[in-house]
Amino acid sequence: MTLAHYLALSAALFLIGLFGALTRRNIIGILMGIELMFNAANINLAAFNRFLHPEGIVGSAVALFVIAVAAAEIVVGLALVLAIYRSQNTVYAEDISLLKG
Amino acid sequence: MIKHVHWIALLPLIASVVILLGSRDNTEKSRLPLLGVAVMGWCLLHSLLILAGVLSGRAEVPFYRTLPWFEFGGFEMTLGVLIDGTAAFMLVVVTLVSFLVQVYSLGYMHADPRFKRYFAYLSFFSASMLGLVISSNLMALFACWELVGVSSYLLIGFWFEGDAPAYAGKKAFITTKLGDLGFFVGLLLLFAYAQTFDLKMLPLHFQMGPGHMPAWVPTAVGVLLLCGAAGKSAQVPLFVWLPDAMEGPTPVSALIHAATMVAAGVYLVARTYFIYQAAPMALEAVAWVGLITAALAATMAVAAYDIKRVLAFSTVSQLGFMMLGLGVGGYTSGLFHLTTHGCFKALLFLCAGSVIHAVHTNDMRQMGGLSKKMPETFITMLIGAFAIAGFPFLSGWFSKEAILHDVYRFSPAMWCAALATAALTAFYMFRLVFLTFLGISRDHPRWEHAGESPPVMTVPLWILAALSIFAGLALEHNGIFAGAVCFGPAAAAEGAEAVAHAPNWLAWGAVGAFALGLAAAWRLYGTGDLSLASSLKRSLAGVFDILEDRYGFDRFFLALVRASDSLAAALYWFDSNIIDAIFVDGWALATRALAEVQRFFDDFFVDGAVDGVGALTRDGGLGLSRLMAGKVQEYLLFVALAVSLFATFIMTR
Repeated sequence: MTLAHYLALSAALFLIGLFGALTRRNIIGILMGIELMFNAANINLAAFNRFLHPEGIVGSAVALFVIAVAAAEIVVGLALVLAIYRSQNTVYAEDISLLKG
Repeated sequence: MIKHVHWIALLPLIASVVILLGSRDNTEKSRLPLLGVAVMGWCLLHSLLILAGVLSGRAEVPFYRTLPWFEFGGFEMTLGVLIDGTAAFMLVVVTLVSFLVQVYSLGYMHADPRFKRYFAYLSFFSASMLGLVISSNLMALFACWELVGVSSYLLIGFWFEGDAPAYAGKKAFITTKLGDLGFFVGLLLLFAYAQTFDLKMLPLHFQMGPGHMPAWVPTAVGVLLLCGAAGKSAQVPLFVWLPDAMEGPTPVSALIHAATMVAAGVYLVARTYFIYQAAPMALEAVAWVGLITAALAATMAVAAYDIKRVLAFSTVSQLGFMMLGLGVGGYTSGLFHLTTHGCFKALLFLCAGSVIHAVHTNDMRQMGGLSKKMPETFITMLIGAFAIAGFPFLSGWFSKEAILHDVYRFSPAMWCAALATAALTAFYMFRLVFLTFLGISRDHPRWEHAGESPPVMTVPLWILAALSIFAGLALEHNGIFAGAVCFGPAAAAEGAEAVAHAPNWLAWGAVGAFALGLAAAWRLYGTGDLSLASSLKRSLAGVFDILEDRYGFDRFFLALVRASDSLAAALYWFDSNIIDAIFVDGWALATRALAEVQRFFDDFFVDGAVDGVGALTRDGGLGLSRLMAGKVQEYLLFVALAVSLFATFIMTR
């Protein structure tokens, strides 16, 4: 197992997440896609730490931070989805265009 | 006494203002005119006392006193009085005639609706004239000179309801202005070289000799001042206004246009005689102007039928005599004639006024035989005629004799011309008297209606008649006049010497001229049979036409006025059609064209830039706002595309 394997996995995962985030109509699906992209990044961080600086822990520490921030982000995001659903009675992203220019 | 001489000019001025503004009643009922008469009486007394002081030697002459007026640069202008023998005599002449004329006017103007204003004008005139006489400063003299012109204008046009008086007033004013232009230029030239207007200082500048100023300056100044004098004193060619000035009230003609104002030109030449002493050519010009004027005016008087015009031409002629006297170096004789002429010419005019008052016409052809109706006027006028014609031992004889003496010393040829003029003087004066008073009446209703004038008018006549008889004798006696009025002691001595050298028969010349003129007038007009006169006039019709045309001087000036009118019209056309068209309108057109170009530039480029920036921003904003479709996933797509673009860009670099 080399770094390239990890990076390939990470890229695949990121693209899957991006595809999901771009194509899902449901906001919750979009959020799930975003989570996938976070985790692709986390894999990158951990892999770089493991292969390039095995003696350090900075990459892993940043990954941990990202997990924490992602948890917080999903909390806020789900709360927004709930609020939107209550007021707009929909969870489809294309129906929500209040900030349209 | 002489210290208060300035009041002689100031009091009449105050009186004129008081009379003009003092009362609303303009007619005879207003008592204010009496104030003017009283003031003038006081002025006469004062002048007589001054003259007595000067003649007796109690008053020191020349009396000179000035007040500073204003300063400019290093030059101080003063106002002041300068009284010498000449001025003292002039004061008496002016105040005497003014006083008598004012008294006479009380009768003559009694029914006039503007009675009060008339006396205000008379007082105003007297004030200006007396200011002119006493002024020590040529600038102040010039100011008074113009004021005199103004009052003359007001009084000639006093009956301004008629066209003729209004026209005559304008004519007098404008014609004299033509001369005053020369006067003023002369003053400026004088000031440029002498830096003073003061009559006491100026002679010093002219006595300093040729090194002090260019030789042409005295000549030029003399000729220019002569222009002013010719205008005011009605000399050739500016005399044309005086005959027309007779449209004014007759006492005014007596005061202003016979005795005083028209003598101002002669007085000016006398006051500035030191200039002429330094410029013999200018002095000779004075003499020739005087001689030509005297001769021309005398011939014109022969052809006139208006009683006042005859006297007006006679005045012009006598003023010419005065100028001639001054011009040939006879300072004393010229001014002597001025003094005596003031008396008898005022007398003649007042007599003519008395006649006009009685018959209500100026035309001598409608008079005749009036001696029975108005004996006092007849006798006084006869005295005046004898005086002016030069009957021995009357005042005119002395002064004219003195002038002829001086002329003979200067040039016998000019003496002959002057003598012929003297004969003509006698002829036209007796022609006037005979046509008016003798023979049969040619307009019977007028003759029936005529009567002697009231005493307020005849008393001044008698006073003036007495003066006309005795003034010459009194002033000639012991050389009183020559002692007081002379130009420097040298001139007086020279004059006395010359009289001693003159041929004895000279004195008979004037008497002969007088006798000749009288005889001719008697033959033609005195006997009541005018057939010879009219046949003579028929055979000499061409000559008479020229004389009645006044040698074409009037037509000449009228043509001058027309020419200047046409010139003005041509210039107006040039101005409006050439100057305005090219410079004003053309300039405006060019400016407008330039402005159009600038407007195009402004609209297209400057505003275009501004609008373009605005439009670009607006359209760009609109275009970009399309991207913000409110679709979250679109945004995310853009982000992803941008990131991948950047990433590609970075990695392929």
